[in-house]
Amino acid sequence: MMFERALNAFWILLGAATAAYAWSLGIVGPSGPDSGLFPLIAAIIIMAAGLILLLRPNPLVASQFPRGAALGRILGVIAGLAVMAIGMPYLGFAVTGAITMMILLRTVERTSLSGSIALALASVAAVVWLFDHMLGMVLPRGPWGF
Amino acid sequence: MHELEGLMAGFGVILTAQNLYLCFLGSLIGTLVGVLPGVGPLAALALLLPVTFTLSPVGGMVMLASIFYGAMYGGSTTSILLNIPGEAASVVTCIDGHQMARQGRAGAALGIAAIGSFIAGTLGVIVMTFFAPLIAAAAIRFGPPENFALMVLGLVCTLFMISGSTVKGVLMVALGFLTAAVGIDVVNGHERFTFGSVNLSGGIELLAVVIGLFGVTEVLANVEEMVQSTVLAERIRGLWPTLADWRDSWRAMLRGSGLGFVLGLVPGGGPVTASFMSYAVERRISAHPERFGKGAIEGVAGPEAANNAAVAGSLIPVLSLGIPSNPVTALLLGALVIQGIQPGPLFVAQRPDLFWGIVASMYVGNVFLLMLNLPLVGLWAQLLRIPYRVLFPIVLLLSIVGTYSANKNVFDLWVMLGFGIAGYVLRKLDYDLAPFVIAFVLAPLLEQSLRQSLAMSPDGAVILIQRPVAALLLAVSAAIVVLMFRRTARIPGGDQ
Amino acid sequence: MKHSTLARLIVACAVVAAAVTPVAAQGADPKAELARLKPKDFPTQPIEFTVVYPAGGGMDVAARLLAKYVEKWSGDRIIVNNRTGGAGMVGHAYLATQAKPDGYTVGALANLVWGDAMLRAQGRWAYTDLEPIAYVNSDALIWVGPTEGPYKGMSVKDIVQAAKDKPGTIRIATVPGSMWEYLVDQIEANSGAKFLRVPFQGGGAGITALVGGNVDVAQGFYSEFRGHLEAGKVRPLAVASAARMDFLKDMPTFNETFGGSDYLWQVIRYAIVPKGTPADRKAYLAAAVQIAMKDPELVAEYEKTGAYFDPKLAGSKDLAHDLGEYAEREREFYRKTGRLK
Repeated sequence: MMFERALNAFWILLGAATAAYAWSLGIVGPSGPDSGLFPLIAAIIIMAAGLILLLRPNPLVASQFPRGAALGRILGVIAGLAVMAIGMPYLGFAVTGAITMMILLRTVERTSLSGSIALALASVAAVVWLFDHMLGMVLPRGPWGF
Repeated sequence: MHELEGLMAGFGVILTAQNLYLCFLGSLIGTLVGVLPGVGPLAALALLLPVTFTLSPVGGMVMLASIFYGAMYGGSTTSILLNIPGEAASVVTCIDGHQMARQGRAGAALGIAAIGSFIAGTLGVIVMTFFAPLIAAAAIRFGPPENFALMVLGLVCTLFMISGSTVKGVLMVALGFLTAAVGIDVVNGHERFTFGSVNLSGGIELLAVVIGLFGVTEVLANVEEMVQSTVLAERIRGLWPTLADWRDSWRAMLRGSGLGFVLGLVPGGGPVTASFMSYAVERRISAHPERFGKGAIEGVAGPEAANNAAVAGSLIPVLSLGIPSNPVTALLLGALVIQGIQPGPLFVAQRPDLFWGIVASMYVGNVFLLMLNLPLVGLWAQLLRIPYRVLFPIVLLLSIVGTYSANKNVFDLWVMLGFGIAGYVLRKLDYDLAPFVIAFVLAPLLEQSLRQSLAMSPDGAVILIQRPVAALLLAVSAAIVVLMFRRTARIPGGDQ
Repeated sequence: MKHSTLARLIVACAVVAAAVTPVAAQGADPKAELARLKPKDFPTQPIEFTVVYPAGGGMDVAARLLAKYVEKWSGDRIIVNNRTGGAGMVGHAYLATQAKPDGYTVGALANLVWGDAMLRAQGRWAYTDLEPIAYVNSDALIWVGPTEGPYKGMSVKDIVQAAKDKPGTIRIATVPGSMWEYLVDQIEANSGAKFLRVPFQGGGAGITALVGGNVDVAQGFYSEFRGHLEAGKVRPLAVASAARMDFLKDMPTFNETFGGSDYLWQVIRYAIVPKGTPADRKAYLAAAVQIAMKDPELVAEYEKTGAYFDPKLAGSKDLAHDLGEYAEREREFYRKTGRLK
């Protein structure tokens, strides 16, 4: 519930900030709407919606946000994907992919260490084979040439 | 009849071992590309374009075309089984298709998707065969005012798709508009919301958004609960649609075919828009709209038919006029140009072998695809036996490659992750994500068309009413909005 | 043909219809010449031809044709990679700032990169960070008019006059922020005419609009309207180049019609390597592209797309310098029109 109120407040702030920016882009130009018009309308709608949601008395959402182990798993997935985005330009797809797979597999502890390593290497190899050799799409290579 | 002669000649061209082989291979690749999340026909065609240099023009084009519509067959597979779209055009199939899978009816869903695709694809080609020149002549008159009106109609239909809170849905639509505005304003060349970043100046990639919002989000949600597997393989009863399923879906298939075909013709339409609009229409027309979102088979049959029909529709402008209406057909055009062939209004007359060969190949290709996809249903069902903790990393890895394949820009991976996290949070708080996507797709063309219309009209907005087609579409949109208000006043759905 | 496994599969089972093409006599055997220039240990992996525009477009087609012939003569594997986004800006920035200068990246660029560098790069990179190695071809901007309606049959001079007499009524398709817009600016500034500008994302979309009767004049390249021209739906009006085009001899140039020398707007395509690429690899790549460019088949294919070869650039001894002249002329234009301070 707290979170929902925070989100609604966020919408209002987002709408306001965007509206200001859109205003600075210009609303009307020589031949009709300028760059800022559509974003301005969208921003106002977002602000209004956020306000309505905030002021509404009954909270509809009864969901829980994750804690403990569940939160760990979620952060693990996010970390894995982040590692991929950060590392790929420097280490190449194969190496970063293997690391990411390891993170993803291990974030759920039930996959054994050796199993994870095997699966990570196998899946990355398969993907590289499929895309790089079979289809011809160049995946970034690292400093080691692969 | 002249067209039948041409078609027979076309069959003569295509029924050679080489061309049939290429058609089959293209269908296979297309299905595979459709199944892989993120990798779409555009990436596959760009990769295989050099191959067509050594093939005959007919062979090359047949292969490329079959990849294009093949991808529309395969895209529904992961949508239904994993709730992760294989294509942007298969996003809506997730909504009801995956629910059907959870109820143990994955086989029926996959089957109806394949058959609906086949019916739509074949109908589309039949219309192409007999009416291509007529349709092309009409399509070319579609200018900015008509595009605008059509996009407005699409947007209005989107509002029908909103399940749950209307306020939240409208907020998502507005957010979609805002996100689409990031990048360079086409109309005057200025940068919007880019904050000096080169990557943002390119705008936000649709594929990254779709994979993030529907792929990463889904994985996050499942990982949170640590599901064993999202769809228990044992629960797949009966791999074929029942008679009841047929009864419910055949009309949706026909409607989807018609809608998809028309939307494929116009720029800014295409399979993605077609699938969304078909879903919205099915929901609007249904006598029991509350079934949607819980496994209504029309929600699979309609959109899957629509995206296939849109492929046939989008091939008409490029083959009959030399005008591409989406990036994939632009690529097909490029492939022809590289072969030294200039498609244009005279293409049919100058190269009847090529035109009719491609048309004939589409009949054959659709049959191949049906033969490929129906038996595969059993195979995909077996894939579900893989425990989720192993399946999801593989799917994510493929999604990463798929997203990267769009622009070869690592920034898209960040977009994917960002939208994944945002989608997870929003889903938790009961926001419907589909309206965001369709608004994101429609907004650029809607805004551009409106401003173009105003630019080309010395009298301003009047042009929208002066042009009959535009006026008609706008009137229909207005009528739908009115009906929508009346309906929600009567039926207690969503909350105002 | 050296390509991905799948590609090889396709070709192997499909009957290759291509006839054996005779090697053109080019004096000393070019393949041997190329082998002589080949540096040790290079290349060990495929070379990327980076195209900053989407697959299937004019630049992409030119790059793929080039890649095909460079492969033929050098035997190296070339992969064309489309790094799209921001109307080319993303790819240009990538080539100028991120691409490794190790010889495995070759940019297939158009002179539109100068606009990006001067107006939009915000000082982070300059066009000189991209070193030209070979000239490919040029495509001049052409005005086309309708074959139906009130403006059919009018020459370009008549149309400009009409735009002067009735300002703001003649609809012309432009692409904001690049040469399509600049040409209209020039014509308007020099003649006092005033067109009604309708913005599009590319020349092709404008030509479609012309055929559909939604604009009165469109601007584009030959390959974009050739199909319509042959079907009698459009009529070429004038070309923004120094000399008339071989494939449309009856079409005048803007310069001769309006008596100027400044109406020069064309896409110049050339190959680059990022600054800092080792000299031997750069020389090898340059030679490979130049030898491919001499292949009469490739020349014929380019001419079929309506491209022409600028004599000054084709025979240039110092490509960087000659291209630089064109670039600086563009910079002057930006200064004069207030786009650049």
